[in-house]
Amino acid sequence: MGKQYEIPVGAQHIALLEPLHFKFTTENEKIINTDANVYYVHRGIELACCSKFKFRQVSFVVGRVCGLCSISHTTAYSQVAEKLLKIEIPRRAKYLRMLIIELDRIHSHLLCLSHVAENSGFEALFMKTMQYREFSMELLEAVCGNRIQYDFSIVGGVSRDLKPQVADSIISRLKTFMPQLDELMDIYKHNWTLSLKNKGVGAITKQQAMELNLVGPFARAAGLAVDVRNETEDLLPWKEVGFEMVTETAGDVYSRNMIRLRELYVSIRIVNNIINGLPEGDLITETKAFPEGEATVRLEAPRGELFYYAKGNKTQVLERLKIKAPTFSNVAGMVKGFEGNEYGSAPAIIASYDPCLSCTAR
Amino acid sequence: MKLASFRKKSPWILHYNAGGCNGCDIEILACLAPKYDIERFGMINTGNPKQSDILLVTGPVTKRSRERLVEIYDQMPEPKVVISCGACASTGGVFRGMYNCEGGIDQFIPVDVYVCGCGTRPEQIIDGVVQALGILEKKTKELEESVRLSKKPVQEGRQLNRRNIADEIKPLVS
Repeated sequence: MGKQYEIPVGAQHIALLEPLHFKFTTENEKIINTDANVYYVHRGIELACCSKFKFRQVSFVVGRVCGLCSISHTTAYSQVAEKLLKIEIPRRAKYLRMLIIELDRIHSHLLCLSHVAENSGFEALFMKTMQYREFSMELLEAVCGNRIQYDFSIVGGVSRDLKPQVADSIISRLKTFMPQLDELMDIYKHNWTLSLKNKGVGAITKQQAMELNLVGPFARAAGLAVDVRNETEDLLPWKEVGFEMVTETAGDVYSRNMIRLRELYVSIRIVNNIINGLPEGDLITETKAFPEGEATVRLEAPRGELFYYAKGNKTQVLERLKIKAPTFSNVAGMVKGFEGNEYGSAPAIIASYDPCLSCTAR
Repeated sequence: MKLASFRKKSPWILHYNAGGCNGCDIEILACLAPKYDIERFGMINTGNPKQSDILLVTGPVTKRSRERLVEIYDQMPEPKVVISCGACASTGGVFRGMYNCEGGIDQFIPVDVYVCGCGTRPEQIIDGVVQALGILEKKTKELEESVRLSKKPVQEGRQLNRRNIADEIKPLVS
């Protein structure tokens, strides 16, 4: 038995976008134990949503929970508030929400892929992926008016309409993106240098994924077919627009990359279907009711299942709002995935988890 | 070595998220990417505070990240410039008044450039960083002047003491 060393990573580290602290216990370069500390960015949003802001303002506040999946948060909150108000939103608003969620998923997955490439030491691929990602930011800006923090979903519907010329530009930009995505798929799949850092690293088995309650691409890479888009049909009609489940079996960094790339193809198909079959109608359902009762909502964010619970008492201010973010479910699996790997591959594994700590800590 | 001129041409950036929403952080990452490419100003994102000149801070300061922010600022060598990225780093933004937020980084460390917006656009970040370059140059000049003394420092025991002769400094003749 060799000597054990403790290596801290974080709270500020070049491989991390956010403050996150891992304490690795290593023995001969092998990680044998990990300690994760994720609550650096706790801000107290839930309490502020129940005391400081009115229920119509909260959808703008919960968008600031996370910059990467802000549309998922605003949409999930809007849906839970609509359940409390007992209103049905127009069909066009539902389709527009799905459009932005999928465009957001494209940009989030490409960001994660580029981050994995950077942390594996492949700087050129990072640059290439980031270059190809810019088109999704431009499209989001064209539809919503801002590159991040869209504030697109509001209680009762959506805040902006999709202009016809913007819809045309989305179709044409996606057409130019398809060969670029094929190129990326080829590099991530066949590059030998990258495979040394990614194949068989940070693996999680299907049994472990089930026991540790993993969600999102992390679980789907291990072979566990969990996706909220496959399960719920009442709030957003995912199957109508061509959703398809994607799973891999290995559960390592490589298969997580593959999951994200293959989901991009699904997302592109969904966006194309939404624009081609966009129903006519209003954007928003007006109501003067106040939230009453309790409701829960589940939504598939880019990182997995997002859960909202809200309780209203017929006043302007909600009584309770609870947010459970996907990364919170994945923390146990993140700690497990490091076991038995070399310390040098830890940054790539962290990036492949795609952790979103501002969601987790709120 | 012409350290001052090199520093002007290649300022290294240190990025710290003091509890923000990630939005500004991914825009900083987008700045490094080919479309905006701040590497043409010689800037590299570095993880080491001891090698960096510009500190980019995002997020309202949460109570746990407060000490780490001050520590990182202390570890950076002079001359250094601090840029606060985004509305919540500058004033607290939407998080102002929440129970675990301090609201603005300028309560703890001196800030030189404020970049507005929620979230900040890459163009704004580049504009702020280019402004910071001017400030960095000015600070470098001030620092160099104070070191070049007209009189030799006093040897006190094992230490060189520059403090006791501070009133004898004359302006440089260039």
